[in-house]
Amino acid sequence: MNAVRMRRPVSSLSLGSSLKGKLVRAGFQFVTDMQDLNPEHLSAEAGVSQQEALEALQAASSGHTVAPVTALELLQKEEEFRNIVTFCSPLDEALGGGVPVGKVTEICGAPGVGKTQLCLQLAVDVQVPAVFGGLGGQVLFVDTEGGFQVQRLVDLAGAAVHHCSLLAEDEEQRVAMTTFTVETILSNVFLVRCRDYVELLAELHLLLDFLSDRPRLRLLVIDSVAFPFLHIHDDLSQRTRLLQGLSLRLIAAATDHNIAVVTTNHMTTRLRSSHVQLAPALGDLWGHAPSIRLLLRWEESRRLASIIKSPGHMDATVQYQITCQGFRDADQSERPQSKRPRTQTDQSASSRENTRT
Amino acid sequence: MVVLLVGMCPGLDENLLRSLRAADIRTVEDLVSSDIEDLAQKCSVSYKALFAIRRVLLAQNTAFPVSGADLYEELLSSTAILSTGNPSLDKLLDSGLYTGEITELTGGPGSGKSQVCFGVAVHIAYQLKQSVIYIDTTGGLTANRLLQMLQTETNNTDEQMEALQRIHTFRLFDVGALLDCLYGLGGGGLHKVCVGGGSVKALIVDSVSAVIAPLLGGKQNEGMSLMIQVAAALKTMAKDFSVAVLVTNHVTRSSSGEVQPGLGVSWSHVPRTRILLERVESGASGRRSATLIKSSRQACLIKEDFDLQWWSRAEGERGGETSGKRKLDETDT
Repeated sequence: MNAVRMRRPVSSLSLGSSLKGKLVRAGFQFVTDMQDLNPEHLSAEAGVSQQEALEALQAASSGHTVAPVTALELLQKEEEFRNIVTFCSPLDEALGGGVPVGKVTEICGAPGVGKTQLCLQLAVDVQVPAVFGGLGGQVLFVDTEGGFQVQRLVDLAGAAVHHCSLLAEDEEQRVAMTTFTVETILSNVFLVRCRDYVELLAELHLLLDFLSDRPRLRLLVIDSVAFPFLHIHDDLSQRTRLLQGLSLRLIAAATDHNIAVVTTNHMTTRLRSSHVQLAPALGDLWGHAPSIRLLLRWEESRRLASIIKSPGHMDATVQYQITCQGFRDADQSERPQSKRPRTQTDQSASSRENTRT
Repeated sequence: MVVLLVGMCPGLDENLLRSLRAADIRTVEDLVSSDIEDLAQKCSVSYKALFAIRRVLLAQNTAFPVSGADLYEELLSSTAILSTGNPSLDKLLDSGLYTGEITELTGGPGSGKSQVCFGVAVHIAYQLKQSVIYIDTTGGLTANRLLQMLQTETNNTDEQMEALQRIHTFRLFDVGALLDCLYGLGGGGLHKVCVGGGSVKALIVDSVSAVIAPLLGGKQNEGMSLMIQVAAALKTMAKDFSVAVLVTNHVTRSSSGEVQPGLGVSWSHVPRTRILLERVESGASGRRSATLIKSSRQACLIKEDFDLQWWSRAEGERGGETSGKRKLDETDT
């Protein structure tokens, strides 16, 4: 191996552009040129203030990178956190256990197909105590559409508590059941209502502080991420940039703090060489943000969930059902009364406007 | 413009530097292009000393021409071609990823870019027994998937763990961190990484557009500069350390509705080879089509269909066709 060392140009440091300009004009092309100087000397040479010189020297010497993590260590870290079950076993199986922690998952679907229901179910399921195979975590629910219904959450919580109390076999599980009640479930859901994209972005700015105060938080739900952005029509490129910044922040929060981020998205129509197709809204660039995409749709009278994007699992389609107890398997015969029966699919033009990147 | 500093060459000390400054000579260019006799008088330094300094500085800062034959010899000995593990992709890439070059994979969401990156990383770590550096900016890196792919290559857990240890990952979410990471690796970090065994032969960045695209456009003026900085860092790493760099990029639609790689025309000059991945409408869920859209070695626009599940096909089907990783019954997609 040759002993070549790459020299870092000053213009690649994260400093203000005017400061970088002054440094380069004074002849400091590479970081090595200015590393050995002291602040007074540098400020005299480059014609910058002492403060700026100090800043520049700090940036030059703080090239301490994060140490790499081998894939083996990553594997061990991944096995630390379980997935969040959806209570629909074919879906859980297809997802490899449920919605994964540390990734951004997106649920797309036409209006009324059950996205908010699945979000509410996940908000309850993340709180299942560890002895029952859950995470015992808290959830931050960001509601942008006003679709959050406390009563429905109470129903789902009641059903989950009932389900777990039937499963409780040993002492440990019975003790856990005392802390897993409808009241505690409700108290572990933090609800935020955002009315437009400015509030949403502001809320996510504060997210990091919120996360550091609450180490037990394991799920962040944004229902829906599309709604506030669908109203921006005049400056689509600004919308794209806002969304990209948003997606980076969500991915960073998910990875660094080990939370599962779940967002919901609407569907829009795409004209693909003269035939019309339904596609998730917000464009292709937003499509790169979630690691996993679930598509919920109707087909005749069945409800289907498909995995259309996932780094770890194959594309698959399963059937599910929404009962008064929540998101369940399709085969359960326990009061299989569908929440909203339909007899005919309507897969052509939706009521949303066309969005293009 | 290289500033004259103390100790740059023998004879250039504080006093001389001060007198040169007084004569308004601050950089190497100034010194080399000025009249030595005149300068010697002004700074009251001997002509010979100044001439010697000038000669040393010229030698230090000049670029020397290299003959084509020498260059060819050097390339022959230092370039390696790394197979991706998938024969259809190898055919497109003219037998694999070349070290010293940047190869780009571009495609829409769900087109399989990350899967190909995983497959390449696993193949290089296990089959070729070399280290791989994987920089993830999308949050899509799942070590479990890497393990799944390894499990179809070998049943021996020790070998699997060994291969996993050769894949070094970084998870970064902004361009400043990416630049810090690349220059950190270039400035000596690469040697530390090699300690485990096997030199680093591949650097995968998935994806480079996720951190750069938000900076382009609008009233932001730093975006292009940072994009070119990243390009320069990647190219220098590829050339100086003889690694094969594989990056992924998103796609956008041109005004006529055609799919084109993202990050614009300025970035299009950076990778040597570009491949566009697309989903195949009909056919099994793992099938993708790859089109060569830029190459200096092969005719462009040749297309190959391949199977994303190639890297995780079961033992019995090696050399055969698709295998379902997990079959779930339901309606067809």
